[in-house]
Amino acid sequence: MDGVITADEAQNEADWKVGVDIGGTFIDFCALEANSGRLASLKVLTTPEDPGAELMTGLTLLAEREGFDPAHMTRFVHGTTVGINTIIQRKGAPLALFTNAGFEDVIELARLRMPDMYSLFCSRPDPLIPRDMVFGIPVRMRADGSESRAPDMAAVERAVAVAKANGAQGIIVSFLHSWRNAVQEASVKAAIAHLAPELFVFCSAEVWPVIREYERSSTAILNGYVHPRVSGYLTALEERLKGQGVPARPMLTKSNGGLMNAAEGKHACVNMLLSGTASGVIGASWLARQAGEDRILTLDIGGTSADFALIIDGKPQFGTGELIGEFPLHIPSVSVSSIGVGGGSIASVDAQGVLRVGPESAGSTPGPACYGRGGERATVTDAMVVCGWLGHSEMAYGQLSIDTGLAQRAVGELAARLGRPVEQTAQAILDIAVSEMFVEVEKLASRAGVDLRDFTLMPFGGGGPMLGAFLARELGMKRVMAPRRPGVVSALGGLVADLRGDFIRTMFSPLSGTSLPAIREAFETLAQEGRDWLVAQGHNAAAQFNLSCDMRYIGQSYEIEVVLSPEWLANGNAAAIADAFHLTHQRLYDFHDPYGTIELVNVRLSAVGAGPKLSFPEIDVIAAPAIPARRLSVYTGVNVETIDLHDRQTLAPGSTFHGPAVVVQEDTTFAIPAGAQASVDRHLNLLLTFPE
Amino acid sequence: MPLFDRTKLQVLANHARAAAENMAHTLHRTAHSAFVKETQDFTVMLMDRSGATFAVPMELGATWYPGLSYRCAIAMVDDYRPGDVAFTNDPYSGHVATHAPDTHLWKPVFVDDEIVAWTGGHIHNTDMGGAVPASLSRALTEIHQEGIRFPPMKLVNEGVFDEMILRIMSTNVRKPDLNIGDIKALVGALNTGERKIQAMVRKFGKAGFVEGVAALLDHAEAQAHDVLRSMPDGTWQFADYADEDSVEANPCRLKLRLTIKGDEAVLDFTGSDPQLGSSLNVPSGGDPRHTMLLVGVYYVLYTLNPKILLNTGLTRPFTCITPQGSVLNPVYPAAVGMRSLTCARLRSVIFGAFSQAVPERLPAAPAGNNCIVNVMTTDERTSRTVIAAVNPVVGGGGAMPHRDGTNGSGADAAYLKNTPIEITETETPVEFVRYGLARDSGGAGRWRGGLATEMAFRVFAPDSRITARNRDRSFFRPWGVLGGKAAGLSDMVVNPGTAHERRLGNIDTAVLQPGDMLEIRSAGGGGRGDPHQREPWRVAQDARRGYISPAAAERDYGVVIRGGEIDEQATNLLRAGKEPSAGHFHFGPEREVYETQWTPAAYDRLHAVLDALPIHWRFFAKTEIFRRMKGRSGPEGVQAAFDAVCERFPELPRPRPIREAAE
Repeated sequence: MDGVITADEAQNEADWKVGVDIGGTFIDFCALEANSGRLASLKVLTTPEDPGAELMTGLTLLAEREGFDPAHMTRFVHGTTVGINTIIQRKGAPLALFTNAGFEDVIELARLRMPDMYSLFCSRPDPLIPRDMVFGIPVRMRADGSESRAPDMAAVERAVAVAKANGAQGIIVSFLHSWRNAVQEASVKAAIAHLAPELFVFCSAEVWPVIREYERSSTAILNGYVHPRVSGYLTALEERLKGQGVPARPMLTKSNGGLMNAAEGKHACVNMLLSGTASGVIGASWLARQAGEDRILTLDIGGTSADFALIIDGKPQFGTGELIGEFPLHIPSVSVSSIGVGGGSIASVDAQGVLRVGPESAGSTPGPACYGRGGERATVTDAMVVCGWLGHSEMAYGQLSIDTGLAQRAVGELAARLGRPVEQTAQAILDIAVSEMFVEVEKLASRAGVDLRDFTLMPFGGGGPMLGAFLARELGMKRVMAPRRPGVVSALGGLVADLRGDFIRTMFSPLSGTSLPAIREAFETLAQEGRDWLVAQGHNAAAQFNLSCDMRYIGQSYEIEVVLSPEWLANGNAAAIADAFHLTHQRLYDFHDPYGTIELVNVRLSAVGAGPKLSFPEIDVIAAPAIPARRLSVYTGVNVETIDLHDRQTLAPGSTFHGPAVVVQEDTTFAIPAGAQASVDRHLNLLLTFPE
Repeated sequence: MPLFDRTKLQVLANHARAAAENMAHTLHRTAHSAFVKETQDFTVMLMDRSGATFAVPMELGATWYPGLSYRCAIAMVDDYRPGDVAFTNDPYSGHVATHAPDTHLWKPVFVDDEIVAWTGGHIHNTDMGGAVPASLSRALTEIHQEGIRFPPMKLVNEGVFDEMILRIMSTNVRKPDLNIGDIKALVGALNTGERKIQAMVRKFGKAGFVEGVAALLDHAEAQAHDVLRSMPDGTWQFADYADEDSVEANPCRLKLRLTIKGDEAVLDFTGSDPQLGSSLNVPSGGDPRHTMLLVGVYYVLYTLNPKILLNTGLTRPFTCITPQGSVLNPVYPAAVGMRSLTCARLRSVIFGAFSQAVPERLPAAPAGNNCIVNVMTTDERTSRTVIAAVNPVVGGGGAMPHRDGTNGSGADAAYLKNTPIEITETETPVEFVRYGLARDSGGAGRWRGGLATEMAFRVFAPDSRITARNRDRSFFRPWGVLGGKAAGLSDMVVNPGTAHERRLGNIDTAVLQPGDMLEIRSAGGGGRGDPHQREPWRVAQDARRGYISPAAAERDYGVVIRGGEIDEQATNLLRAGKEPSAGHFHFGPEREVYETQWTPAAYDRLHAVLDALPIHWRFFAKTEIFRRMKGRSGPEGVQAAFDAVCERFPELPRPRPIREAAE
């Protein structure tokens, strides 16, 4: 009997799962009560001077508003910008790098090539560790993993002393060929621990044991650079949550779109650097799956930049080399491309009378002219206001108001210089902003080898819905899907994410029947690491292992990741692996070479521990024309038209209407161009289709 | 002509760039050879109906061809149909290809049975056959030794490759799979570009597209005019030297007289050396706007206005004069394979001329030796021959008006990429001993020149052959400006610091035996401004970082460092009364000594003498004159040497006396 009562009580007891994502201006909350399916969201301004304080404020506010007891919070998932801000602001820990003597410039030379290669002023970023804190240790491993020179421990001792004297808080140890054999790094780490136990040490092969010395070293450096701040932040967060009586141990979102616990986050810091953008894509792919969409282009537009990502067959795409400020990150990350064009991008007329947009941005301060915070130059947002798409309701939860007159004045100045009507000028600004994004998205699509006409665009963030439909038209896309709460997609992404740990071994061997046993063995080792990792995360349920290989034709210098079926390994079917590679190569690059020798560079394994299965309520669809809240005048590109304005709250599943139209909601405004058919689905997503 | 809507131009430019970037990504990711993938020695472009480039990628590929016109090459093929692709690698047909390994392809883009544009591009083939592997060597003397040449012809007919051409190529080159793989990848990229242009035509309309493309060219032209207008009118002269005009021979001098008048400029290269009996010639065909001649100009324009559109329109305000039979306009059958080396010097000549026009806005000389190192050795485990590209060894950028030169590479070498040591050592049986920056190699200055790169590796098999192409600056230093000093020299040494040391100077090949170590160092970037004006803390920081030695801090900068700290008193004492050096340039002692013998007037006399000879006599006569210059100098010395040459070779044609030539 007791047992039954407990079960009933448990069922009646609220079960809150909370996702929190910190962005540049706002901290977003997405909370789900698992029994009832009740969903709540909240945005609070960030407190950069005291990271974490706004989080507790928001949690308290949320608990009050939704009437729940923090003791009923069974899951708390957090994405934070502490790590990435540390790098962008260059406020990380002073570090020393121990590397091989003769190769001390590995991080300054990087891969030599630099962007902006037509400029005689081009340069690489200053390394995070200055050259006088790089110590060349006499030590050498051969490419086959045999030692040609053991570490000179006397040199290590001298280097530790100098590093300490110069204020190093931590040491990164990165030696050549540690991807093959990490014993030299390990022995030097042990020596440092003995000589200077107060210094933290990260070895390159521990952080990410992949071939290519610059990439491996810089990954370890990024990890060490943010370590003290991230670790301090997480410790404080754990204490604050505990103090509030929250039983859930905090989980963190990772750049790979998965989760890890806070304990791991304190030392595997590099894994969370891109967590915000990654969990946005995870949230988007979850929403897409729920809506039955499997090929998505996400679009998140902020004040200064726009982020894009592809979701193919329902899955986010992964890549390495994503930029953290000025530095590429070489661990697997959800691929997100970024361009410096956003709502705050400034329009100008150049010396030849040509209208341009960006690269300068009014950012969030002073912001667009229409915000009335001192911005005077015309921005993309001002152009939206002048055309009439924006400015009919409160923005950003009432924290912003729009002054149409200021926008008119700013755009009007450019219009006068161009000798054009102000609306036409505003429209031209929007066209240019969209074409800037077009370039980036086209590049993304060509790298991925996909045809965007088969994709649905999903705009989110505060600015995505503003320009999303216009970009979709430019790209020839036929569908746009706007989630009900575009402002908290990243927070939602954390809520629905799985535990995910990535493991890698560099093999560098030809793919053949004879190399298969070694490959199988490597996978077995990785699987064991994966199992151990999941257990350490507190996960004892079923685990899924995703296997893949990075392969290339001999002579190529870029490898591509190919998903493997475990049976191919078990059956020793090298031909099936080769076929999968040929097929992927064909898909990505329009050709393959059936006689080419294949080189297997890395084997990879992702250990996935599924999170709670969550589902949001579905509402029955009742087809009916939507009733507009009011009518307004908008310049739609050719002339001023009177169009409908809808309030998102009143749009019930099954509501239909057509563009041009404006949909307003508390955190964003959706501009819907002419020709679009709009409808609301059972999950309250707003769908646009453009019939050809 | 209707003026294309100024508010739509950036939209069109963005679509054009998206198409070009798309092509570049397609090629880069699908190519087979390291040349295309790692060195990124390729270009792709969109061209207008006449074959003039109107868009290039900004992120991938080489930086040489935004102003390339395919017009002449296009005209050499008849009857284009949809799906056709034409190609050539012949430097003497149409002046598109500039050495035999560069294979250029172009494809018409049809809309309604009419060609509205072209897509094109080039790849550097690993080998095109001929006398030496990779088809490139300074020692070659005529184009026929540099591999098989295909004059402009169709490679793909209505979508179908001409198998005959592929078979001929496969039979004549050393790595046919790489060539054909890369060519197919480039065809894929051209197809991508074609699709994108067709989409642009749908968006902007056919007439709108054609007008818009013309407007993009006009816009770039207007931007270039504006940059020129921002410079003072005037004439500036500058000369620079490649160390050698052929293997272990005499310097090769390039001379430029730059005249800026209003918004136009003339680049007169008259007075540059006669065409060479080596492969260092630059085949411009005398085209006054050949892209090879103007690469340095692109850098100058882009540096002064980073918003400039890179297309053929940029070239319109410029006129280049390159006398026929000179190194910058050789006649058939001069070899041209190693023109990259000369092109690097050509860029530094242009930088030097513009540096005098706008000294406050441009940097000092970049290292200017984009050396590509290849190794051929035997893998002792498999007894297999391995041929691999090792790293490029390039030097730093010149010191800028506002900061130090970029270390290790930069300026006009920024597009080069290195290969990780771990990858090279895994694929190739060599062991690196060092790869990093060379101390004291950057020119001293208020702003220091970028440091050189230094690389050393060991081989394990007998008769391992190394080539280090495009090495230069082992004698003539990258110059400093406005009181800044010239940079360190490049060098190549076998077994440095041992009894078996062999200093190779500017030699670009070496044969190594087991255990031998080869050290290659590039030049550095020139310095800018008086080094005694550099803040002592920066000098001390450079010393702490190993960029300069304490001795150099004292000698070059007048900063005394004791025990890691600046000795302020000693520094002030040392710096007191130091006058900044006079003159716009600092060339270093080697050139200063050389030019006491080879004065500008001596060169004028030399060219007066040589120009009077038939082209095929000139290089021979130059070499013979140089042989007789010992103990001679100035124009009289040249004349006396020439007289001696005439005496020795009475067959030498002497059309008329030239005594009255410039003194």
